[in-house]
Amino acid sequence: MAHAIKFHPGMPLLEQHAEGTLSADVALAVAAHIDLCPHCQQLSRDITADLACQLAQQPVKTNTTDWQQMLHDIMAQPPLSKQAAATQAQLSAQPAESIIVNQREFVLPRALQRLAANHGKWLHLGGIATAKLPAGNDYHVSLLYISKDTEVPQHTHLGLEMTLVLAGKIVDENGEYKAGDLLINSPDDTHTPRTMADEDCLCLSVLSAPLKFKKGLTRLLNPLQQFFY
Amino acid sequence: MLKLAKVPRHDRVPSPIPDTQASMTRQEITNNNWEEALTFVALQRDRSAYAELFNYFAPRLKAFGMKMFGNEQQALEMVQDTMLNVWKKAALFDASRGCASTWIFTIARNVRFDMLRKKQSRKDDVSADDLWLNGEYPEQEADTDASQWDTQLLMDKLAPHFTSLPPAQREVMEKVYLQEKSHQEVSDELAIPLGTVKSRIRLALDRLREALDGARN
Repeated sequence: MAHAIKFHPGMPLLEQHAEGTLSADVALAVAAHIDLCPHCQQLSRDITADLACQLAQQPVKTNTTDWQQMLHDIMAQPPLSKQAAATQAQLSAQPAESIIVNQREFVLPRALQRLAANHGKWLHLGGIATAKLPAGNDYHVSLLYISKDTEVPQHTHLGLEMTLVLAGKIVDENGEYKAGDLLINSPDDTHTPRTMADEDCLCLSVLSAPLKFKKGLTRLLNPLQQFFY
Repeated sequence: MLKLAKVPRHDRVPSPIPDTQASMTRQEITNNNWEEALTFVALQRDRSAYAELFNYFAPRLKAFGMKMFGNEQQALEMVQDTMLNVWKKAALFDASRGCASTWIFTIARNVRFDMLRKKQSRKDDVSADDLWLNGEYPEQEADTDASQWDTQLLMDKLAPHFTSLPPAQREVMEKVYLQEKSHQEVSDELAIPLGTVKSRIRLALDRLREALDGARN
């Protein structure tokens, strides 16, 4: 049986995503989750249809806008033929390109492909590698690769941390996460994610603030927190 | 419904547009059938069908834009860009994938998103095309995966009760439901009569049903 995704964004995030009101970086993590999750695909479809229905049914006041001028301007332009419109739509659809890290090849979800084609340089630290994606302003968006049998030192979050597992498996104190699972940690959560001996892991990481390492010597990592950010 | 009926339908009154009046060759689009209107636009570049769509949706999109931007100029820019896309790309509308209003709403949402990003002069990063699939996810695959997810959910609920079944019943259940063996195969394998296999399954299912009901209360 195919792996079933267990950790979803939740209704409020899906609603704001469908509405288009999430910040771009958070929306990107939600969009990539939806690409991987048939359950949320269905929910998103339903939410979008519902929002559209509200839009279509809202009463509007008579207003002073000169709609006829706008209508005239629009119809002055030639409509696209079906082929032309389809070609244009296809241009925005990227061919599936894979990324390579640690001699491993990964195919990313559709939502990340265009951005990942321009990812930053992979920075390595122990079994962990990270590369920034050219996205976001409020948050830092990066790919995070964790080799087999590697522990990310225990840390808390100065801000919001969203981690979407793209491939492989990661475990922490609270559970086990596989491709498509979306972990959301708030500033108060402390955890020690790690990979198992037989499986590495590629994640999308969206952070609103640097991580803060908690334990003993790993506190020495705090000057390195920029590595993860 | 009563409230709706009292509101005068000012939004649907066809406006007098000189150059489209002449081309009016069919009856007014029947009650809110925007899918039909879009199809007319796509097939015949039907200006009066488009005008009806426009007159209905433009003020509503403006209200949506005002809510989102809080600024009339940007709201109108969004309306114009959205409705221009509706006019130019009507051929891409596929009624089998959803209603016209959903299609128009998603265009408006994407236009708005890209307008905001452009305003922040962030050209290279996230665009609406990244965030929202233009089209449909493969339906076939989605369906089986979704039902697998439901099965998984059910299995997760059942699992703790499964282990508390009497060993003889559990053994039969595992072979039938997890290893997907036929009743006859199980009967042969365990050297028990076929009837016993069936009755053990019935008993186990009964227990599980009871356990789930208990968990629900």
